[in-house]
Amino acid sequence: MIRAHGLTKRYGGKRPKTAVDDLTFEVRPGTVTGFLGPNGAGKSTTMRMLLGLDAPTSGRCTVGGRAYDRHSAPLTEVGALLEARSIHPGRSAYHHLLALAHTHGIPRARVRHVLEAAGLTEVAGRRVKGFSLGMGQRLGIATALLGDPGTLILDEPVNGLDPEGVLWIRNLLKAQAAEGRTVLVSSHLMSEMALTAEHLIIVGRGRLLADTTVERFVRDSGTRSVKVVSPAAARLAELIAGPAVTITSDTPGTLDVQGADAEHIGRTAAAHAIPLFELTPQAASLEQAFMDLTHDSVEYATPLEGAAA
Amino acid sequence: MTATATDTATHPSPDRATPAHPTPYRITPARVLRSEWHKLWTLRSTWITLLTACVLVLTVGITMGSTYDGDDADIDTVVFVLFGTQLSLICFAVLGILVTAGEYATGMIRASLTAVPRRLPVLWSKAAVFTAVAFTLCLVTNVVTFLVAQIWLSGSDKELSLTDDGVLGALAGSAVGITLMSLIALGLGALLRSVPGGIGAFIGSVLILPEVLTTLPLDAVDTATRYFPAQAASSLGSIEHVKDAVSPGTGLFVLALWAAAVLGAAALRLRRSDV
Repeated sequence: MIRAHGLTKRYGGKRPKTAVDDLTFEVRPGTVTGFLGPNGAGKSTTMRMLLGLDAPTSGRCTVGGRAYDRHSAPLTEVGALLEARSIHPGRSAYHHLLALAHTHGIPRARVRHVLEAAGLTEVAGRRVKGFSLGMGQRLGIATALLGDPGTLILDEPVNGLDPEGVLWIRNLLKAQAAEGRTVLVSSHLMSEMALTAEHLIIVGRGRLLADTTVERFVRDSGTRSVKVVSPAAARLAELIAGPAVTITSDTPGTLDVQGADAEHIGRTAAAHAIPLFELTPQAASLEQAFMDLTHDSVEYATPLEGAAA
Repeated sequence: MTATATDTATHPSPDRATPAHPTPYRITPARVLRSEWHKLWTLRSTWITLLTACVLVLTVGITMGSTYDGDDADIDTVVFVLFGTQLSLICFAVLGILVTAGEYATGMIRASLTAVPRRLPVLWSKAAVFTAVAFTLCLVTNVVTFLVAQIWLSGSDKELSLTDDGVLGALAGSAVGITLMSLIALGLGALLRSVPGGIGAFIGSVLILPEVLTTLPLDAVDTATRYFPAQAASSLGSIEHVKDAVSPGTGLFVLALWAAAVLGAAALRLRRSDV
């Protein structure tokens, strides 16, 4: 269980930049929770605060019931993969893990086990310097699993992985959650989260935008439309027009109707003997819903805000 | 009957709601020390800098000994044979900086502090491991260099044995001086969190600044510079009392104080700043 309450982080002195703004959320065990937001939304900063690497400007956060640095064996509580590489490139994968294992008295057998789980046994003795992005990422995951932790906090774990690696992460996260662990995984890709996560915490500009399930997020995101193709499209448009109905048309004979469902359109057409070639409800894609939600908080698409300006 | 007992005893809970850790794993100071020891020796840069340091002292010592023609009769014998420590000091200082600032440069510090989130044990362990390694290696190198140089110096006015008055003390004193100076470098690395920054600060403030200050025609400044790290260290590695330097006891005390101050500042920054 991860809890954040009023978590806030501001950087800089004279013109402070708020990276995380009054964030309150809970991450429950047993499901994969996606931590989603555009670049610069404060995901990494939040994760660093959960791990005690950054101190919050205000607010609190706990992992497994207490602040991370209050645990006597933190590696067995939380396994973390941070977006920025946290590995000395001059050390071999095996010695990197063993050095960390020594701090807790974790045996060599466990080090070999996580190396194997991450598919790194072959290259364990090689210096990390020569690792590809994907191999580095796998070593990061192996590091996170080292203490067999009850909570996993992973920042953009699929970055740089090949399709096989992406699938491996996806299955690993689901398996870990199924064992009753708490899994928080960040991403800026809605499509990836839709396949992996059940629960979503969406942030933009450091603020909480949504705390929901993937299913509810799709259902509530609303902007569904119906595609209609008919030789008498213009006439049909007149018939179904109403105050709550928006009709757009890109090509002649094709309508995109919002605010009226397929059943209503079909019945109206039948009543007036208008032939229909196509009547297709269009579910808003997750990606679109996510972009709509975060549109106003995308770092580089909106003009700079600031009281001085 | 036994089956029932075994059954309840070994029955695994089918759903691990919260994975139970009957955890033998726990952070202890000894384990953090072991981790830092392991980290030090699993990097090539450690072996290279340490080997270079030892080879430099030995080679310079042999060169000084084998080419001695009585010209430098007024120079202290230990200072004379350990002339290479001027160079090895740079190696040890660089290693000290790499031990701390190197982790910031590579990002390893995030892994280290995630494993030991109370942070300070990491710094103390780094300092302890480094001190032990640097001192042992310096002492052994000094003694070996002294003995090897004596092969050529026997029969000259610089013939001395290990058991002669003050010789062991000066050899050990030199090792202590180098160790504490490079511990200052380690602290600067942790304080500045940058390898070039640390090396620049060490060379600039510890090695060059006092030399510049002594050129000023002010007695007060002259006296003050005696208490700078390098000048205080120079009092330790000599059999005879060094001219214009503090006594060895004062030197050791002042140098230890410098190292403690820099490490204290580094500890403060480690506790307070984000990584």
